[in-house]
Amino acid sequence: MNVHVSTLDEKTRSSLAIESHSETEEYFINMGPQHPSTHGVLRLILKLDGETVREVIPVLGYIHRSIEKISEYSTYRQIVHLTDRMDYLSAIMNNWAVARTVEKAAEIETNERIESIRTIVSELERIHSHQLGWGVLGMDMGAFTPFLYGFRDREMITDILEETIGARLTMNYIQPGGVMFDIHPDFVRKVKEYLAYFKPKLDEYEDLLSGNPILQQRLRNVGIMDAETALSMGATGPVLRASRVPYDLRKIEPYGMYGEVEFRVAIGTAGDCWDRYYVRIEEMRQSMRIIEQLIDNIPEGKFLLKKPAAKLTIPEGRHYSQIETARGVLGFYIVSEGKETPYRAYFRTPNFHNLWSLTAMAPGGRVGDLVAIISSLDLVIPDIDR
Amino acid sequence: MGLITEKLPKMMAGMPGSDIIFTRMDAVINWARANSLWPLTFGTSCCAIEMMMAPGASRHDLARFGAEVARPSPRQADMLILAGTIVKRMAPRLRTLYEQMPEPRYVIATGACTISGGPFIYHSYSTVRGADTIIPVDVYVPGCPPRPEGLLYGLLTLQKMIRSGETVREPGIRHKPVTSETPEGITIEDIKSEMLALLEKDAVVDVRKAAEQMERPTGI
Ligand code: SF4
Repeated sequence: MNVHVSTLDEKTRSSLAIESHSETEEYFINMGPQHPSTHGVLRLILKLDGETVREVIPVLGYIHRSIEKISEYSTYRQIVHLTDRMDYLSAIMNNWAVARTVEKAAEIETNERIESIRTIVSELERIHSHQLGWGVLGMDMGAFTPFLYGFRDREMITDILEETIGARLTMNYIQPGGVMFDIHPDFVRKVKEYLAYFKPKLDEYEDLLSGNPILQQRLRNVGIMDAETALSMGATGPVLRASRVPYDLRKIEPYGMYGEVEFRVAIGTAGDCWDRYYVRIEEMRQSMRIIEQLIDNIPEGKFLLKKPAAKLTIPEGRHYSQIETARGVLGFYIVSEGKETPYRAYFRTPNFHNLWSLTAMAPGGRVGDLVAIISSLDLVIPDIDR
Repeated sequence: MGLITEKLPKMMAGMPGSDIIFTRMDAVINWARANSLWPLTFGTSCCAIEMMMAPGASRHDLARFGAEVARPSPRQADMLILAGTIVKRMAPRLRTLYEQMPEPRYVIATGACTISGGPFIYHSYSTVRGADTIIPVDVYVPGCPPRPEGLLYGLLTLQKMIRSGETVREPGIRHKPVTSETPEGITIEDIKSEMLALLEKDAVVDVRKAAEQMERPTGI
């Protein structure tokens, strides 16, 4: 494995270096698990030389809830609700990963209505996840207003989803063979209203934060990761795409209705924090484009094809399938013995792999940059630990 | 401006020069304590998002009840809002955080996870079944996750409790740690002894050794 790590570009680094003749000593500092900018209970051991980070060692397990073990005792319908609690900001998409694997293994057909609804709610959720990421990034950089703006708009999506689904966060909506409830009669109208509302708001987001010179200075040329490193670290989602790799499962192996709609994959050029930030903004635009194309012609049909999902068995063997959540590729792997419950279940979660790119990006930068990098990775910690 | 919903027990007397209010010391102190609770931000998982919604974000405002100054440091906080699952590895930390908070301190447990283990109560080898096995809890807010309104109601309940029950000499009404029902095969004693072992193990960490043991990617 040939990993190339580029940190602050040489020029900046030499200008920052202070001429010093005294001996310096490397020391360790503990960050987390209770720390406001690690977004949860992530613990990092930092090896520092003065202000400069030499090495980052993530320590995991502070929110390990043994979801994979519980899955071994649960039927396939019951596993769905556990996935809500992994990456709770892409709950619907997590449900979809289970549904897709089970449907592929048990050869359950779905209809166009189901796939349309799934695609629309997933894209709505992608938007609200990125809104939250945007707001929290602003707050980590010292600006509180984005947090309020992001949550204001996110809350409206939550309301729309709540009307149909009945939950605000842990949705438990997509299940093998369909979706849990039909869409609310007001759903189409409200989504359209929301899109009309949010489009100008997104431009406002850009005026407010993207154009801010302080933010640009804190994000540009910080935490640079080239394509090769990103790939070797297993990063996916916006983190990988920011490093100039146009890898998006929605394009590469289209599922749902993604094969029939037009959208573009946003990629970055430099692979720094700024690109990761901006890829998310652009993804919100593309998500809105996808919803616009689908919302007017949701086909008629059933929303749930077969009711008794509890008795579902899937054939003996190994089954794997994956989908693109707001943070990257979520894969679900089942080892089945032909029973109602899996023999072994494994989740390939995006955040776990994205986290490790931190160990390649942070060395060489400052402690302050580390906060920017963590924030631009947009980590959800329970998804790392499961 | 808000409505004055409570009155202090008092007696007003006119004196030459100005008026004087006589009241009970406990009443004044409780009134002050109840209306300036500083929460510690302790969010471990899903419930944390709804907890962020309640005090800080755009729709709900905890500031109206005097509890919006969220502190990341336990030494400056006097109310612990538990939001999210507690697992065995985090349990000693939670205990430490609680002990670092100055008296009087209050705990609100939000979500099914902190009440009983929630969705992870069966077959999980790592979740703690209820935060009240580790620290005393004052108010429980059920839900998975509870709505922000639920948390607001929990806070109001806590304020009521503080106003009615405390005296200067005995701060805080404390429940005994309640032992919630755990599934077969795991007893509270098991969890406790495991936690103790973890505490001892985690207390002495040789970071240098840990760093050396880590396999590093080449080139760093
Ligand atoms: S109660 Fe539900 S929402 Fe809250 S932390 Fe537990 S699983 Fe997550």
